Amino acid sequence: MAKNKLKVLRAIHEMTQKELADKLRVSRQTVIAIENNKYNPSLDLAFKMAHLFETTIEEIFEYEADLDEQA
Amino acid sequence: MENKTYRKLRIGIAAFVAAAMSIAVTLDNMLLGVASVVIGMISMVVVRSKVKRIVDEREVMVRQKAAQMTYAIFAPTIGLGSVMLVLLADESSYILKAMGTVLSYLTLYLIALFSISLVYFNRKYGGGNGKE
Repeated sequence: MAKNKLKVLRAIHEMTQKELADKLRVSRQTVIAIENNKYNPSLDLAFKMAHLFETTIEEIFEYEADLDEQA
Repeated sequence: MENKTYRKLRIGIAAFVAAAMSIAVTLDNMLLGVASVVIGMISMVVVRSKVKRIVDEREVMVRQKAAQMTYAIFAPTIGLGSVMLVLLADESSYILKAMGTVLSYLTLYLIALFSISLVYFNRKYGGGNGKE
């Protein structure tokens, strides 16, 4: 599961969840799910986020390898 | 129209159709039943056309998982149910045997439809031909 800094970036850019959802053309529930690390967005949506916040995908998302999977 | 209003209207229409249907059944009035279903369907189409709904990738994924789970539960249930009906029905209960046969064909149809769509989407998204 990938962790993300979406909440932080949204706060820096002074955006509400609704505003971000409208800009990304997704529902507010999707933004909430991503912020709570319950849903990993598609590559397309991740690029859209990176473009919106003028950063890279790596700056927003951080991949955490599952230790159970590695064993 | 917002998503919330759409959901409320949809529940309202469903409640109206359910109430009208129960009245129709109580009064044994087929016309009322048919009319309520038709009015309900038309209202749903009108309400749906007015709403600006966003079906995003998460919702698509949720629908896929729900469909997958429905298939995984429904296919074995009606499959086993049909086999039980055919095997356990004795000579006198021909209706049960007929029901079992119909359910068997429905199960076959469901599995065939699933297999065809599986092959179609596998090809559509690049798999299945074995080429590198």
